[in-house]
Amino acid sequence: MEEQDRSCTYLSGVCPVWCPGCGYYGILSALVEAFADLNLPTKELALISGIGCSSRLPYFVKAYGFHSLHGRGLPIAQGVKTANPDLTVIAVGGDGDGLAIGGGHLPHIARNNADITYLLFNNAIYGMTKGQFSPTTVLYDITKTSPFGLPGEAINPSALALVYGATFVARGFSVRKEHLRDLIIQGIQHPGFAFIEILASCSSFNTTDMNVARIIQNIELLPEKHDREDRIAALRLASEEKKIYLGVFHRSRRPTLEEKYQEMERKAIKKGAATSADLLEEFA
Amino acid sequence: MYPELILRIAGESGEGVITIGETLCRIAAREGLHIVTFRTFPAEIKGGPCMIQVRLSEKNISYHGEKLDFLVCLNQEALDENLPDLKEHGVLLCEAECDLAEERPGRAVYKVPFERIATREIGSRISKNIVVLGTLCHLLGLPRKTIEGFLSEKFARKGKTVLDHNLAALQKGLDFAQRHLAKKDPYKFPNGSEQKKLLMTGNEAIALGATAAGMRYFFGYPITPASEIMEWLAVHLPQMGGKVLQTEDEISAICGVAGASWAGGKAMTATSGPGLSLMSETIGLLSMAEIPAVIVDSQRGGPSTGMPTKTEQSDLFLALYGSHGDTTRVVMAPTSVPDCFGVTALAFDLAEKYQLPVIVLVDQALSARLETVDPQLVERLPASSRLCAQPGAKGPFARYQLTESVVSPAALPGTDGGEHMVTGMEHDELGNFACDEETHTAMTVKRFRKLNAIESDTLTQGLCTRLGDENAEIGIVTWGSSAGPVEEAIAVAKSSGISVQAIIPKILNPLPHQELKAFFGKVKRVIVPELNFVGQLASLLRSTYRIPTIGLTKVKGVPLDPREIVGKIVEAAETLNVRSMKRYGRAG
Repeated sequence: MEEQDRSCTYLSGVCPVWCPGCGYYGILSALVEAFADLNLPTKELALISGIGCSSRLPYFVKAYGFHSLHGRGLPIAQGVKTANPDLTVIAVGGDGDGLAIGGGHLPHIARNNADITYLLFNNAIYGMTKGQFSPTTVLYDITKTSPFGLPGEAINPSALALVYGATFVARGFSVRKEHLRDLIIQGIQHPGFAFIEILASCSSFNTTDMNVARIIQNIELLPEKHDREDRIAALRLASEEKKIYLGVFHRSRRPTLEEKYQEMERKAIKKGAATSADLLEEFA
Repeated sequence: MYPELILRIAGESGEGVITIGETLCRIAAREGLHIVTFRTFPAEIKGGPCMIQVRLSEKNISYHGEKLDFLVCLNQEALDENLPDLKEHGVLLCEAECDLAEERPGRAVYKVPFERIATREIGSRISKNIVVLGTLCHLLGLPRKTIEGFLSEKFARKGKTVLDHNLAALQKGLDFAQRHLAKKDPYKFPNGSEQKKLLMTGNEAIALGATAAGMRYFFGYPITPASEIMEWLAVHLPQMGGKVLQTEDEISAICGVAGASWAGGKAMTATSGPGLSLMSETIGLLSMAEIPAVIVDSQRGGPSTGMPTKTEQSDLFLALYGSHGDTTRVVMAPTSVPDCFGVTALAFDLAEKYQLPVIVLVDQALSARLETVDPQLVERLPASSRLCAQPGAKGPFARYQLTESVVSPAALPGTDGGEHMVTGMEHDELGNFACDEETHTAMTVKRFRKLNAIESDTLTQGLCTRLGDENAEIGIVTWGSSAGPVEEAIAVAKSSGISVQAIIPKILNPLPHQELKAFFGKVKRVIVPELNFVGQLASLLRSTYRIPTIGLTKVKGVPLDPREIVGKIVEAAETLNVRSMKRYGRAG
């Protein structure tokens, strides 16, 4: 009970705009509980989102929030972390935001290994625009913009993040709140880019692919013996089609963007710290 | 003694043509001469024709000059291409094998087998440009020691062998000239002054101006002709504790700026037209969310990929209007290399003080041109900073509080009690989504009041260059790097008895209304020279001030030629004379 009260201090008091039965309530709940567990000061929390239902989340959290442009949450988050590495930076967005319009950013934020926790809410539909297919909607699905069946294959977000070299890749499910909370805690604690795919239902527009009952039937926790350092093994498990594995697929320690910036600064200063007089010398 | 010298070196890219020009410039800057250069870039990565034009003067100058006093050509193609630009009594120094179609009396021609000297006597073709320098040393009366001193510095890091090699090449060029070239022209290197000058490109001045203003976070994507800004900063910003990140595209670059700036850093990006097009949506976000940012656009020939290595001033409309909705932004345009420093630094002051995006428009010619700068001009400290709230506020923080002054105090992430939302959606004072009519009106007015405040701010006063005779009836309004040719043209017109005055605003949004209105009240003709097809500044002036304008537009990928402007001045003068004669006739 006390735990729940503490997590409530991370809520802004703004009432979520999500539909009744939306899976995102569970994600919001897991997120604030993770913040409470880690005892993070709200003033040091920065939540950056793109556009879409999931991207409304920062309004509901007591933190520094930035509701930005469709697909651009990640590069903005990278800018925030660059200027103030002391902040806990969380990027939030949906499957359309992160894999369609913003899909070009993911490989680069991942390879930079910027110390950002990225929560990709995957409900396999465009909810905010009311029911068009998304990059994760299943082939041949009928949606408002695929009335005769969707022509594209679904993207597997976790597999993609693994291929892009993310140093922490996990998959959770909005209904499994405690499990999701633990994944978020691990993601925040991970030094470097943490990618967490979160399966969630859309109660209004996608009742087929992300049907809660269907997910529950197919989910399975990752085998205990899975070697999380092994990216290829992780990719095999993440790509599994019959089962939907949940848990941490991969975790590895690589230099973070901030650590690399510091290394560059050390090398640059070895060449000579710049004063304005030194700089002008170059032009004399 | 000639008070100035206009010299051009032309050849094939990779022959060291630019090095010759730059070496002369460095030496001249140390001698205290004023310098403006113009160079062309071949479209090819390797090879292709290139040239650098250098104007050295004892007086302050703002243009690289028209007809050449001195032309150096390293091959036949360069000769054929550039000879028409040589003055009737100018000097030609060229490769011995070049054919001259006609010899002109009064024109001094010197032929030197640069290629042979370099390959046979030095044993390396790449030393050819230093052989040329040696020859120039003799012909222009430059002390050998001066060039030797400079080369010693330049090649010090490359080791003794390289240096000796180059000094030998210099000596061979000088020896040949002394033995075979009897000086038969009057041109000499101009006299310098006591005041040593700094020499830099427009791009370097922009980078330096940004760092002087406290910019510490740069995000960019490589693009001609702006890449040198990022390249310079990549070396120097980390030395100041700053960070440079090359992003995956221009959208990510401007988003990085948005994030870093929201987090409290002074941040910028630099790009060209194609990049600015991609950044348009985020410029709207910066305006809506009230986040400071500086965006440099070094314009090139457009639209689309256009002509990446050629100059144009055709992004004014994009800078003024790009992005959907009613978007506030400041647009500035430096006119010279020293201006690139000052205007860029001022852009940060305005961005921070008014919490909005500032676009700085330069162009390829200004970005790439080397020009002298007085050392005291580049000593500057930030003149304003962001208004921030005190920590420890109770209750929800109103990031978009409607205040008497036009800005709301910001709370940088990390500030106790300042937790808030910034957003690209229309919002109330708390940053919560609001789409009622009162809020959208009040917030739009809030954002646009900033522009009125900026127009009357002391920071933006005196941002118009005034040239010519203030009683003249013929007026010129221009912008950016076209200021140089305009200044030349006014001097030429004056020498033929036509008075002209010009006003060159370095801020194009908000326009300096008072100064422009006063100007239009005084002149009877307004000529607007600019490097685009549709007359973008002229169009802005016509719609804002409801005045007729005489357009002078050009899309050849090169700067305006003062003679083109003089032509328009003469036409305008004729219409004025005709009119006054008619009046006189009627009265009689």
